[in-house]
Amino acid sequence: MKKHFIYASIFCLTATGLASCNRDYLTPIPETSVSDASAFSTESRITTQLLSVYEAMKHGNFYGGRFVIYGDIRGEEFINETSNLVTGSDVWSLNPTNSASSVERLWQYAYLTINKANIFIEGMEATGNTVVGNDAGNRYIAEAKVVRAVSYLSLLQYYARPYADGNGNNPGVPLRLTGIKGTGQSEIARSTVAEVYAQILKDLNEAEAALPATYSTSNDNTTRAHKNTAIALKTRVYLTMQNYASVVTEANKIVSTAAPFTAPTGVTHALQPDITTIFTNYTTAESIFSMPMTANAGDNPGTQNQLGYYYSPTVGNKEYSLNPNGIIANTGWTATDKRRSLLATNSGKTWLNKYKTPTTFHDYVPVIRYAEVLLNLAEAKARSTNSVDAQAVALLNAVRNRSDATTTFTAGSFANATALINAILLERRIEFLGEGLRNNDLMRLQQTIPAKGSISAKAPTENGYIWPIAASELALNPLMKDN
Amino acid sequence: MLFLAVSVTAYGQDRVVTGVVTTSDDGSTVPGVSVSVKGTSRGATTDADGKYRISVPSGNVVLVFSSIGFQKQEIEVASKSVIDVRLINDSSELSEVVVIGYGTQSKRDATGSIGSVSGAKIAQMPNQSFESGLAGRTPGVQITVPSGVLNAPPVFRIRGTNSISLSSYPLIIVDGVPTFTGNYSAGNASSNPLASINPNDIESIDVAKDAAATAIYGSRAANGVVFITTKRGKSGKVRVSYDGWAGVSNTYRLPEMLNAQEYLTFKRMAIANNPNASTTTLTQTNDANGNPIDTKWQDQVYRQGISHSHNLNVSGGSENTNYYFSTGYTNQQGVIRKNDFERLNALFNVDSKLTKAVTVGGKISYSNEKNLAATSSGSLNGEAFNTGGLGRLAIVLPPILAPYNNDGSLNINRDNAAIGSSNNMSITNISYYNPTALLALNRSNSEVSHIQSNAYIQVVPFKGLTLKSTYGIDYLLVDNDIFQSPLTGDGYATKGNASGVFRKEKTWLWTNTAQYDRNFGGAHNFSLLIGQEQQRNTSRGFGLNRQSISDNAYTELQAGWANNNYTNLVYGENYLLSGFGRLNYNYKEKYYLSGNLRQDEYSALGVKKGTFWGASAGWEITQENFWKNAKLDNIFSSFKVRGSYGKVGNIGGIGDYTPYSTYGSGLYGGSATLAFSSVGNPNLKWETSTKSDVGINFGILNDRITGEVAYYKNNVNNLILYVAQAPSAGLPSNPPQNIGAMYNQGLELALNARVINTNNFQWTSNFNITFNKNEVTALAPGMDVLQTGTAGLETVNQTAPGYSIGNLWVVRTGGVDPATGKRIFINSQGTKVYYQYYAPSGQYNYSTTPDGLTRYVSPSGGTSITQAADAVMYANVNPKQYGGWDNNFKFKNFDLGVMLTYQLGFNVYYGTNSGLHDQRWWNNARDVLTEAWMKEGDTDKKYAKPVFNDNVSNGSSMPLDMNVFKGDFVKLRNVTLGYTLPSSLLTKVKMNSLRVYVSGQNLAVLTKYPGPDPEVSSNGFSSTSGQGVDRNTVGNSRTFTFGIKAGF
Repeated sequence: MKKHFIYASIFCLTATGLASCNRDYLTPIPETSVSDASAFSTESRITTQLLSVYEAMKHGNFYGGRFVIYGDIRGEEFINETSNLVTGSDVWSLNPTNSASSVERLWQYAYLTINKANIFIEGMEATGNTVVGNDAGNRYIAEAKVVRAVSYLSLLQYYARPYADGNGNNPGVPLRLTGIKGTGQSEIARSTVAEVYAQILKDLNEAEAALPATYSTSNDNTTRAHKNTAIALKTRVYLTMQNYASVVTEANKIVSTAAPFTAPTGVTHALQPDITTIFTNYTTAESIFSMPMTANAGDNPGTQNQLGYYYSPTVGNKEYSLNPNGIIANTGWTATDKRRSLLATNSGKTWLNKYKTPTTFHDYVPVIRYAEVLLNLAEAKARSTNSVDAQAVALLNAVRNRSDATTTFTAGSFANATALINAILLERRIEFLGEGLRNNDLMRLQQTIPAKGSISAKAPTENGYIWPIAASELALNPLMKDN
Repeated sequence: MLFLAVSVTAYGQDRVVTGVVTTSDDGSTVPGVSVSVKGTSRGATTDADGKYRISVPSGNVVLVFSSIGFQKQEIEVASKSVIDVRLINDSSELSEVVVIGYGTQSKRDATGSIGSVSGAKIAQMPNQSFESGLAGRTPGVQITVPSGVLNAPPVFRIRGTNSISLSSYPLIIVDGVPTFTGNYSAGNASSNPLASINPNDIESIDVAKDAAATAIYGSRAANGVVFITTKRGKSGKVRVSYDGWAGVSNTYRLPEMLNAQEYLTFKRMAIANNPNASTTTLTQTNDANGNPIDTKWQDQVYRQGISHSHNLNVSGGSENTNYYFSTGYTNQQGVIRKNDFERLNALFNVDSKLTKAVTVGGKISYSNEKNLAATSSGSLNGEAFNTGGLGRLAIVLPPILAPYNNDGSLNINRDNAAIGSSNNMSITNISYYNPTALLALNRSNSEVSHIQSNAYIQVVPFKGLTLKSTYGIDYLLVDNDIFQSPLTGDGYATKGNASGVFRKEKTWLWTNTAQYDRNFGGAHNFSLLIGQEQQRNTSRGFGLNRQSISDNAYTELQAGWANNNYTNLVYGENYLLSGFGRLNYNYKEKYYLSGNLRQDEYSALGVKKGTFWGASAGWEITQENFWKNAKLDNIFSSFKVRGSYGKVGNIGGIGDYTPYSTYGSGLYGGSATLAFSSVGNPNLKWETSTKSDVGINFGILNDRITGEVAYYKNNVNNLILYVAQAPSAGLPSNPPQNIGAMYNQGLELALNARVINTNNFQWTSNFNITFNKNEVTALAPGMDVLQTGTAGLETVNQTAPGYSIGNLWVVRTGGVDPATGKRIFINSQGTKVYYQYYAPSGQYNYSTTPDGLTRYVSPSGGTSITQAADAVMYANVNPKQYGGWDNNFKFKNFDLGVMLTYQLGFNVYYGTNSGLHDQRWWNNARDVLTEAWMKEGDTDKKYAKPVFNDNVSNGSSMPLDMNVFKGDFVKLRNVTLGYTLPSSLLTKVKMNSLRVYVSGQNLAVLTKYPGPDPEVSSNGFSSTSGQGVDRNTVGNSRTFTFGIKAGF
């Protein structure tokens, strides 16, 4: 019996001794992610987090793909080939519903970006600036504000009436300016269009003041916001608001008075001699702001979001061909125009071939390039002076002659300001085909969306001229009102 | 010959009777059977060879044969001197021992609700893992085999679905160590880790259902606990046994499709009905032999599968050491081509008594499983709408297309991923793949290495006290090899695609228990258990994905590729630290009380610590004097009333870092980024199940009939829901909250009877039925409904308070208009809306009048019928009754088993049916020839006037009620006919036993369901709220096997 007790004692000692638990295991530290408590604790976490704000904007459901695609397929230049709802056949048909994936996801991803920017701005103000110093901290905040401004501008283009319709007094989108990390903050009403524009301009103005003039690499100069980025974007914002005087003011900061047009300060933006360069060398001085892509997993737009997948007949899925009755039918767009070399013919149809990196389709996606600033300025000059403005004609020629040396406009080419403006608008259709600007060009002027293929025209007064509000927002935010 | 014990008292005129005792199961001999002369103290015991020798007095003597686990048998000696006896296994009897978690208990003493299934019942069924064999075996257990894909985990529910976001799968404990459940394949093969347990090695399966039986597993007990006990050695001579079978599997009840001629006629008529499609042409060309192409695509996809299985085990032991060693090999072919399952496994169990006080032992089990598939079956969770899903391709592809070109090459389109169709169809947007090509070119294999092992030391310092320490491991290593050819299919867009994915799941567990059993005063029986346990799991996974192959002849990941990326990264860890206790008490085996308590601390919760408990009481009335006085004990051998109540939890499936809000890494143009990526909840806790249970267990006529009746209710609260916030809040994920509520209640009934019980003929019958009602009572504020999509494309399940989970949510139809052949929809207001796919000028697609002239305008201003606006909560998908009926007959050396299983009172959305009647170029089921509207006056037609490209009238564009059917079925799950060779014959060839049998699975299905099989689930085992959907799913197979069980 005594022996048994010895066994038992040894057993108990061993068992309790060895089995003493390891309570640390109960609070595991995530090893593949960073806790929110320490997200602003080091300089590296701050800079990588800043890039994540851009990354959110770059998502294939937002500026890295679909936002740009929708901007074109809403217009008259493309014909849907696959009748696939997943690739926006409803957007093309101008009748997406509240629950359409296009309507839901663009809304969702734009606000994801906005919240990331908000969290970053708040986190920097709270702790981040003390880690990296106020100089760097304020620069970073300014970058986030540019992304936030672009996101709100993007939302307005689909989910709200144009500014021109009632001077922005129509319902805009909810203005969220504080970071949200948990539950209970779903309810928020729509601000007016004017209020949202005011915030966009506030962000861009503050950003312009705080952003660096240049970065050390051409890649950063294209993929991160600097002073001229904020200014260039403002020319777009003001043009959208039909505030032409302000377009001129802003554009003059980065456009020299006479050809060759370049930005006198900051990054020396200028047109590339050959437009096709822009779609192979993504970081030239013409690309003011672009969404960078690589072949790495998660660093490209992802399945069915890629521009090349939609448009290219050589590497893509041929989702959309070019409307034979659209801009490609324009006889003023000469056959030798370099921009026609960005088109391709296949199966008896014409296709856009600007984006032609094969899978994983990691072409950079342009947000704004210098050619747009020039044409923004040209149009604003023509409209604000209501004349055949000489600088406007020169700016138009800069864009045209770069690709088509045979066509040079003179003041005599235009009967009046309207003719000049129409020429500029036409030039935009040629120059920015497939770069997502067409929708905004129609909306800002409250033009009827022209008919295409089997789809009839859509007047500004008609249902479907702008998108409905995402169904999930209506379901979960009781203060939200549909369009 | 060794006699273990022989009575030697001498009587006058004694004589000797000898004989051999065998089991009726397989004819093997039974050692240790007590043989006694009725009414005397004379007795003997059979030796290791089952032989006995006993001297009996003269006169009318009766011998009684008894042994634990067998029914007692009495035989009149008369003038015989040799009496061979075949004992009948009584696994259903109350005397059986049940596993209760950290111990065992006599079933007679158990007051919790526990169902037991003998391993022998499922060992010879041609399943990959044991759970599939549990269907219908014990009340409360619902098994739905989700598809005909090999080794797909079944939908396994105990007393209903008890969670929405977390797992509803029971906790599986193998020899004391919890193991992995689910599907660990990263590709298109399915890999259920429970397949590592060779069904032949299972001694018993015990299913704990109520709070009393499960509370000892605390925070993991809500879905029930299943205890698997593997076989161990018994003392005695070495026993060697071989079990093997071979068989064939086939599909059944496949839809009958149009042949080429019918297809052409029918589709051309549909084209003529759609002026917009008038340019579409369909052409039948000839094959290489000059015959018109008429492809039966089902034959390209399905096959007759050939399977075989071999198991060899050696067991034995001395007085102090017992061992069991087993090895098995099985190679099974599914009905889908190239879908194979191959397992090689070994198990070694040993128990050794070192001294009177100390016992050590353990087990080691290794299994290697190859789960093979060429490509998607379209049947696993998320695959339903795969363009390359084989189940879908078998029905969608037109018979006028051929698998091969006339030059013998595979028929594939060089310009896209699809089948080549340009010779036969003028339609350009065909995106479906050639299954023959996919089967020839691709592979998606998963290989599992699974090690389950434990070691224990047990010390009994004095009588009554048992100290035990067990350390166990469960290592699951999964290696996936995936290749998609650049020539066609999913690999086309990426110019080929190969992945190697490795996953490593490791669990260790250390349990220390002390148990003290004591009887006081011959009346008070106490059994006290206290224990401590810790369990840690770590998960690691990584994969390499390579795209853009450098040479089309390459098929390996290690070959030349242009793009390299990571895939399937997994990193996790969790830890469960627990203390537990149990007190069982009974007074004279008449009044029973038990209490279980467990405290768990779990790393993946915000609130780590939880306390769980269960209490039960029982009353064995047959022990009462009044019962005996009333002579009721003559009828009832036992009659126990029991009840239990308790609170347990569910943490199954919570992500390891769920409570934390975290920032994850990404890339911005090649630069590293860090972004708020996951919204946590620091207050997250377990889901709570409050279970009550009241029941009666009884035995009649010396347990010739036993049965049980139980009522149960499980109130589930604090259900974790990932509650969506307004998207404008910009949260990267939906925060988890403990917020929902649901209940299951029901009644279980089981009856087991030895209907006929003579020496030559026995009939035992076991019947059980479970009535279950599930109702969701609360979701979250702002979350009125929860929709569950099928493979991301179609949503047909909607969960809402007041309904059972995953109710079908479909648009109603009102038949086909006899005058025009238009589909009639019923809108949200109950109004008829007439639909025509092609609307002539001046008419509308959706109209409130049959002539199409009045445009339909919905109450919200829409002009079409949509699911969002017009669908209704239509039908329940959870069976209201389910169970089984098992009959076993033995006549002399023949045995016959007939097993029926059934599920009643539920509905299935037969989504496949919409595809079968889609009026695009898709092939159709043959019933369109008779059931589609053709001309004015055609009444009661199921399908609208065929108009080419119409995908609305049939239900492809939104789910319709016409594709919802009653799923009620009764299946002839298993029929086995066996013959046991007489032992007299076998001793000559040195064999102990030999049984041969033929067996059939799923021989007949009694159902009104029109699809191949109502027992399927497109959303698979893991879906709690997406059951009752059959979307392009490959049905279960019918299998015939021939088998041998031999003992040496």
